[in-house]
Order: sequence, then structure tokens, then C-alpha cells
Amino acid sequence: MLSLLRFRDAGTVLGLLIIGTVFATLAPTFLTAPNLLNVLQQSSINACVALGMTLVIISGGIDLSVGPVAALSAVLGAALMVAGVPVPLAIAAMIGTGLACGAFNAALVAFGGLQPFIVTLGGLSLYRALALIFTGGQPIFGLPEGFRALTNGTLAGVPNPVILVAVLAILAHVVLNKTPLGEYFLAVGGNPEAARIAGVPVRATKFAAYMISGACASVASVVLVGRLGAAEPTMGTLWELDAIAAAAIGGASLMGGRGSILGTLIGCIILGTLRNGLTLLNVQAFYQLLATGIIIIVAMLVDRLTTGKQG
Amino acid sequence: MQHFLKGALAISALTLSLGMAQAQDLAPLNSDSEPDRMDWSELEAKFGPLPAPAAGTKVGGVSKTLTNEYWRSLGQGYQNVADKLGLTFVYQAAQNEGDQLGQLSIAEDLIAQGFAALLFSPQTDANLVPAVEKAKAAGIPVLNVNDAVIPTAEHYVGNVQKDNGVRVAQWFIDNRPDGGKVAVIEGQPGVYAAGQRTAGFTETINASGKFEVVASVPANWSREEAFNAASTILQQYPDLTGFYANNDGMALGVVEAVKAAGKAETVAVFGTDGISDAYAAIKSGDLTGTVDSFPILTGEVAMEVALRLMAGQDLPRVVATPQALITKDNIDTFSTTDQAALRAALLK
Repeated sequence: MLSLLRFRDAGTVLGLLIIGTVFATLAPTFLTAPNLLNVLQQSSINACVALGMTLVIISGGIDLSVGPVAALSAVLGAALMVAGVPVPLAIAAMIGTGLACGAFNAALVAFGGLQPFIVTLGGLSLYRALALIFTGGQPIFGLPEGFRALTNGTLAGVPNPVILVAVLAILAHVVLNKTPLGEYFLAVGGNPEAARIAGVPVRATKFAAYMISGACASVASVVLVGRLGAAEPTMGTLWELDAIAAAAIGGASLMGGRGSILGTLIGCIILGTLRNGLTLLNVQAFYQLLATGIIIIVAMLVDRLTTGKQG
Repeated sequence: MQHFLKGALAISALTLSLGMAQAQDLAPLNSDSEPDRMDWSELEAKFGPLPAPAAGTKVGGVSKTLTNEYWRSLGQGYQNVADKLGLTFVYQAAQNEGDQLGQLSIAEDLIAQGFAALLFSPQTDANLVPAVEKAKAAGIPVLNVNDAVIPTAEHYVGNVQKDNGVRVAQWFIDNRPDGGKVAVIEGQPGVYAAGQRTAGFTETINASGKFEVVASVPANWSREEAFNAASTILQQYPDLTGFYANNDGMALGVVEAVKAAGKAETVAVFGTDGISDAYAAIKSGDLTGTVDSFPILTGEVAMEVALRLMAGQDLPRVVATPQALITKDNIDTFSTTDQAALRAALLK
């Protein structure tokens, strides 16, 4: 099982290398350090969301509410900062918002017995509505420079958001592969009934998955609000689809029970590279969308051929 | 100790005033009311003929989405000027109007590619802020072109959104002297253009004293939502005099609702933007009028402003682009594709 996953990751990396080689040949500015850092920075927000999404997908669920959760965290945090609340407290409140939204989703799934797709589809509207009502639809400007410096700074030339995502990814990888919680995610997603009989705390596992996903969405909102210098209640539109696409390209099975943190990260970078390379080549947006669709389908076909089973 | 205190006070006063001076440099932009402004028609008189760009100059444009005719037309205007003067012009857009991060990525990707100027039409007031800062650091002039307003933008080219609603209100005041009940179909709540257009209409028509705005509801730029809203309003107020919609798509939805209610003879319907469907509907008598903001011409003006900035001309922060109320009476003058003739008609 483990070697199979590593094999799948190698396939994702190979895909990225092929795409990278094509762009490096066609666009001279593609293979420069500033541009590659640019790709990583642009991919970091999707990567942040996709990490949480991957854990939810592995545990057999789905989280469609990530974008609105990010928007709600963003406007609440920004309002606190504008009101003079210290930055660390405001960031804690943002992440707390994500955890709370995740817990709400999980409660409906684990105790309400509702389907994750429907619960988080409801959440998608609910959290967006709260963000819009709270702000009256207006963006919140005027955030403290100290906060912006956190996300716009660099460490040894690498943008802080990239480092943040790398740290989160290592954490997620360790949790998934080296802790009982990771085994629970895989077990609950693979066969919930068997997991329950084997003594896995199914409900607690679901709470963990959705709360981590909510927190990841909030962290992404911290990064984006810092970069924009503003919080908008409309931010985060279609984030859920980008995150699901990245996880799927990286080898996560939407049926649950299978997925890889490294694969998801590479999946995000593939999506970011596509957008970057096609823009450098001056390819119009409609064709960029076409390319993204083809890549996702090709990745799934390769998946099917290499693993030899459905899903 | 006293010296120390005085010194500290002086330093803090100095930093405070420095901070204020800096803040004055970049007062958050309100494109409708910014005092440092001029009309597009005065450009040539005040700043002379268009300076010729150096050979091989590249200009980049990023707009909202190409699924909307307005942004395609704006790009056409950019391209017209580029072709005429032999510039290289690259036009990119996001996949849809909700794609905020995608648009930011595109804008950032263009900055490193040696463009002499960039023309941005952001999805929201905030989503392109990092790209604007990056371009500024790289010394590339950025123009904010219609219609979301970047608060830190140093240059804005676009129409006066509020004036749009004022023109329609004025038509009602002039052509329906007895007054009556009117309704507004608004764009997306929180969007600057929608708010300003609605405010311009409502303030002007209320000031006349004869009209009553009986309903003002958002339909999120959607033809279908506008149809539903207008149907409900017509049921509630059968004696309605007219509708003002914040864009043409919604106005055409309203037209269908008015026709379905059998009130095409009595209810006037106005839209905004001047899309080709709206022109066709005015010619066929379904739509009473629209406020055309001439996207192709706007694109040409914006590109000309970019060229002037590249040549070092000290233009005001805001350059207002043309718009006009189009009805059956003047539609033949304005439904031309000849931009030179259009300019002549507008300058008359």
C-alpha cells in the first residue's frame, strides 16, 4: 500500500516535470528563480486549503465550504484588527472561526448523519451569507502594516507563505503517516463500518478532519488578507474546486481511504505552473481552462491505469 | 529630562506629519469624486497631440473576463491604438468574474515581462493590490481602468458612475412631467459602480419632488433575477412609470417582465452599458434607452492615457471617459462602429 502511494507520487512529480520542461522550452522567463518563486507563492493559498481538503477526502468526506469559511475568517479578523485588537489575537480569532465552522460541519455529518456534500454545500451559502451580512458587502481596508509584513516578507529569499505551507505540509504528512489519527483517517475513509467495529473513534475522527480543514481555510485567509491588505466578503470563490482538483491530481480518491500530502502539494504546483506558463505564453483564459480540464482528466486516467482499480 | 521630552515630542510630531504627508499622497481613491481629475475631451487641448511611443514598446492589459462583451470591447479599443502606433499589446483576462486569485496571478505574471505600462480592470477593489504594489516597485505605471476602484491606484481611467444614474433620472424628469412611481434594479450589493449608479438616479429623481422610488432591489447583474424582481414589482405597483437597471442584461430581463405584464406601452425601461443587444432592443422599441459608456472608445482613451504617462506627462489622477444616454431619438448617431465618427459626435 505504502509503496503503491509512493509510486503514485512519483507519477505526479513526473507530470510536473513534463509540464515544466515544456514551458521552460517555450517561455524563456519561465525557468528563472523569481518566476518559480512566483509560482510557489501563487500556489500557496490553494495548497493551504488543499492540505485540509486532502485529509477530509481521505476520511471519506468532502468540504465545499472552504472558500466562505476563509471569507468569514477574513472579515472577522480584519474587523478586529481595524478596531485595534493586537494582530496575534486577531489571527487566533481567524483560526478559531475556521475551527468553529469545521466543528459545525462535522457535528452535522457525525451526529446529524447528513451527507458531507450536502452539509458543506449548505455551509457554502451559510458562511458566505454571514460574511456578507457582517460587512454589508463592503471590503474592509486599512489593516496594520505589521500584519501585512508577516505575509509579504521573505525568509532567505523565499516568500513567507511558501514556508508556512511547507511547514503545514510536513505536519500533515507526519499526522497522516506516523500517528494513530492518520490511520483513523484512512480507516474511516476506507471502510467506516469496519473501522467502527475495530474500535476507531469514527465521530472524533470526522471532527478532526473537518476542523483541520476549516483551520487550513482560515490560515489561507490570513495569507490572502495580508497580501491584499484588505478583507472582502466575496473572497474565496471556487476555492473548493481548486483544492479538490489539486488533491485528485495528487492521487486522493474521492471515495475515501486513499490520498497523499506530497501528491496534493505537487497537484497545487501543477495547477499554478499551468496558469503561470500559459500566461507567459500569452494563451487566452478560455484555453487555460481547457488545459486545466485536460490535465485533471489525464491525471485520473493515469491513476486508473497505474493502480488498476476504480476510484 | 525636559530636553529629552521635548526631543521626543518633536520627533513624534515629525513622524506624525511625515506619516500624514505620505497618507496624502495616497488618499483612498473615489473615482467619482476625486478632485484631481479631467474629462477625456480636454486631453489634447491641455497636453498636446499624442506622443509617439518608442519602437518595440510593450503594453499589457488584464481585464475581468472575456465572456462579457464589455471587456472584449475594451480590449478592442486598446488594440486599436496599439495597431495604429505599432505597439505590442498583450491582453489577458481571468476565467470568470469570480476568479479573483486567478486574475491576481495573471497580473503578477505579466509584471516581470518588460511591459512599459499595465492596464488593470480588477475583479474587486482589493484583489489586484499586490500586483499594483509589485508594479510600482518595478517602476511600471499602472492604470486602473473601469470599474472596480483600487484605493491606492495612482491613475484611473473610467466613466463617472454616478452620472450614469443622473442621466436616466433627468430623462424621467424631462419626459414624464407629471412624475410617478419608479423602481431601480440594482447590480451586486457592495459593488462601487452599482451603488453609485443607484445613488445618482435616486438622489436626482427624489430632488425633483414629483417621483417616488417605490422599490430598489438588487438582482446581481442577472437577467433572470431582474425578470423575477420586475414581475413582482409590477404586480405590486401596476401604475409604475418606469424602471432603471444598473446594467443592460438586467434591463433586458425587465423588458421581458414588462411585456409579460402587458405594460410595454406605459412603462419606460432603462439600462446601462450600451451592449449590442440593448441597441437592438432600443431599435425595436422594447427598451426605452441605455447609458452607453462606449467601451471601445474607453479602451482607446485608456491606452492614450498610458502613452502620455509613459512620455512623462503629468496627468490628473482620474481621467473621465465618455458616456451618453441613448434613446430612439439619437440611436442612429451613436450606433456607429467608426470610432472617429463617435468621437466627433460626443465632442459636439
